Amino acid sequence: MKHILMLCCSACLLVLAAAATGAETLPPGVMRIDGTPAPALQLDNLDGAAYDLKATHGHWRFIHFWASWCGPCRKEMPGIGRMITALGDSGLEIVLVNTAETEDEVFTFLGIVAPDLLPLMDIDGQVTEVWQPRGLPATYLVDPSGNIQYQALGGREWDKPEYLEFLRGLGPPASQGN
Amino acid sequence: MQYLTTLPSWCGVLLGTLLATAAFGIDKPYPGPFVENDDMLMVVMPRTPGQMAAFYEARGFPEKALELISDACFVTVHIENKSQRVIWLETANWKLGSNNQPLQRLDKEYWDARWNEINLPQANRATFGWTRLPVERNLQPGEPVGGNIVLGGDVRKFNLEARFLTGADKRGDMLEMRFQDIDCPKEEPHQ
Repeated sequence: MKHILMLCCSACLLVLAAAATGAETLPPGVMRIDGTPAPALQLDNLDGAAYDLKATHGHWRFIHFWASWCGPCRKEMPGIGRMITALGDSGLEIVLVNTAETEDEVFTFLGIVAPDLLPLMDIDGQVTEVWQPRGLPATYLVDPSGNIQYQALGGREWDKPEYLEFLRGLGPPASQGN
Repeated sequence: MQYLTTLPSWCGVLLGTLLATAAFGIDKPYPGPFVENDDMLMVVMPRTPGQMAAFYEARGFPEKALELISDACFVTVHIENKSQRVIWLETANWKLGSNNQPLQRLDKEYWDARWNEINLPQANRATFGWTRLPVERNLQPGEPVGGNIVLGGDVRKFNLEARFLTGADKRGDMLEMRFQDIDCPKEEPHQ
């Protein structure tokens, strides 16, 4: 009995210590970064509609850079489609940015892999250059104030429970931002 | 298959899909010579001129660019940090050699100069840039990286000694991976 009590106390102390230090459990490959302001992101989507990241402050944003020639991007994209479905109206805004490809290339690829996705078109790749991802694919999580709080390293299985739980727990929905 | 020794004790990488500068882990069997241990996985995959020209032609690269690409030796490299510490990819610490002579990589400056000569469109330059192996990267635990290194000249086979510093402050042990007699296929000239 004494040992059980000691174990319980130890466990409680560990939990308290974790809480006190703000320890955060992140899914594999997701890295917390310094909260630097996100660069500008103004592009048209595949349908020609204009998008401006600044205009969506108040939401957490999932900014994902990809290209159809990139194998890991191809592997990851269907999971992103399932992630969007699973998250529903969680308040997380999903922004896909195609890097330096033509509309035909993107349309052909997404038509097969994820026909419901509507990416922004970084036709000449210059927006991607400004964001300086560590490679493709690359995902940033931008908080409601416009600061980058997390980056995912390489391709991730975004539709897996650990990632969905993490994304759902990001914070305030759109109505609490700004 | 060529091989492969490394220090301290490694055994003999990638790319189901060519050319991505970041990646999922790769599934075995690896499609080229590889070195793997508890700290790292490194795979090298020589590409023929025909493979490279076809890849970039499909991305809309003009004929003049394809000719330049076909004249060079492309090797796709995949590296994965399997350890729990930072591993530093710094290609400046790599030695490439053939017939006891050092080889130079065709670096960003070289390609930028060639692209300026032929006025390569910005989109093509961006794509080409993303398919090159980064020259420096602090690989986090579990992080993969991939891309091409490019050699010029009439190289048929070459050796590669890749050294990696470790630890956030680069003060950890140094890892080294060696590949011998890597092929530089020439037999498929661009049509």
